[in-house]
Amino acid sequence: MLMFSYLMATGITTGAFYGLVALGIVIVYKATEVVNLAHGELFMVGGMLAYTCYVIEGLPYVPSLLLAVAGAFVVGIITERVAYRSVLKHGLASVLVATIGVSFILKGIARYVWGGKGDYLSFPPLVSPEPLQFGNIMIMAQQLVVLVAALVVMAGLALFFKRTRAGKWMQATASNPKAALLCGLRIDRIYMYTFAVGAAVAGAAGVLMAPLTLLYPDVGFVLFIKGLAAAVLGGITSVPGAVVGGLLLGVIEQLAAGYVHSSVQDVVPFLVIMFALTFLPTGLFGVRGLRKI
Amino acid sequence: MLDVQHLSVAYGVTEVLRDVSFSVREGSVVALLGGNGSGKSTLLNALSGLIAPKGGSVRYLGEETAGLGAHQMVRRGVVQVPQGREVFADMSVSDNLELGAATRSNRKEIRNDMGDVFALFPVLRERRMRAAGSLSGGEQTQLSIGRALMARARLLLMDEPSVGLSPRMVDAVIEAILRLRQRGLTILLVEQNVGVAAAVAEQAHVLKDGVIAYAGQAKQLINNPEVLASYLGR
Repeated sequence: MLMFSYLMATGITTGAFYGLVALGIVIVYKATEVVNLAHGELFMVGGMLAYTCYVIEGLPYVPSLLLAVAGAFVVGIITERVAYRSVLKHGLASVLVATIGVSFILKGIARYVWGGKGDYLSFPPLVSPEPLQFGNIMIMAQQLVVLVAALVVMAGLALFFKRTRAGKWMQATASNPKAALLCGLRIDRIYMYTFAVGAAVAGAAGVLMAPLTLLYPDVGFVLFIKGLAAAVLGGITSVPGAVVGGLLLGVIEQLAAGYVHSSVQDVVPFLVIMFALTFLPTGLFGVRGLRKI
Repeated sequence: MLDVQHLSVAYGVTEVLRDVSFSVREGSVVALLGGNGSGKSTLLNALSGLIAPKGGSVRYLGEETAGLGAHQMVRRGVVQVPQGREVFADMSVSDNLELGAATRSNRKEIRNDMGDVFALFPVLRERRMRAAGSLSGGEQTQLSIGRALMARARLLLMDEPSVGLSPRMVDAVIEAILRLRQRGLTILLVEQNVGVAAAVAEQAHVLKDGVIAYAGQAKQLINNPEVLASYLGR
């Protein structure tokens, strides 16, 4: 029982983080029908930028986080320009390949800028590394920070889509691009900002997770796969689905690692993707027959 | 108000509109009739800035607007009410109306205009918190007209507002168009339903295979079996 509650607690905290990665994927997919395969690298760039600001330049944590998120936002804009807008006329398959290209370029740049300082950069923990004790459950304080921060980012995004004009414009463009055009919206710009917001969420996730994962240029891929599994499980177009999918994936992964074997942990996301595509093609919260003009 | 001269539109090498000329006087309702594939919707999309014409001129209030983008046309008050009620299905009725005002920023004016739309279509006020996709076909038509009004439309381009509606709802649409005309709006109405066109429009043009094949009084058109038979296939 003790082991179970420990696994659940860890599962939920990592799951909230997967949900955050999934959110960025879902935001971009909903609007553009493209899975940005460079999403993991945007996450990595966020973490690396925070490393530069916080560890190398010695800035305080919050400005470092904001700068890293802003940096990821800009990289998101560039991604849209390079890999979406200029390639879209050749079809979505070309866009997918172009996003792979962006991912390799970003990894290359990261190797050039942040490589050669040892293979793995460690990001100092923000809070005491001592584990906290809740009744019988031990939990790392940093994990709690990630959990709370992930919830804050999710709530912020929900408010952004519900309350702000820009958020509603993005939602409208995702739901009916023709009608959005006829309302006078400049949907090309909205696609650009959609990519940027998705990237900013990835950047925020990267900064939050950096103290737990160590940073290296290839860190993005594994977490991208986990985020994608969470997004697919949640129905790829659903914002709440991304969060629930993330939490479920986190818990399943921990239980599998705890009760089966620790090496199973990294296989779980692939199994979840296969399971979801075979038995739940629309995911938990997906909409059947969703189609773009 | 709108003067279209020698307009041609092509998708790739396929010419959809050839040498189309007509004009719309300020404050009038002009009907544009034609069967499927006659190029009606293409014409509206060209006038709304969704597709760039291949040749010819479109003058709106004296200004050449051919080739401008959709957002530029909306800002000038040329707003399309698309066919098939393209509402934002998962967003609320009031969100849909607010999106109609996306090109405007004065919050107070936007709120006043929303009050006007609710006065014109009271059912939208009752359902303002509901998802637009849950409305009936007739209500969605009202919503998409209301959304266009929120952009401060001066020239409304309506694409078959009666399509797929019950006879009772068609009457409601006719009544709404007449009320809009009373408020001084100029309307270019694309229709297949000759009855609707005759009920609201003064002038009518019949489009066939990308050219204007008949132009005249809307009321006479309905009594002209030859035109109906040859151009509308009935």
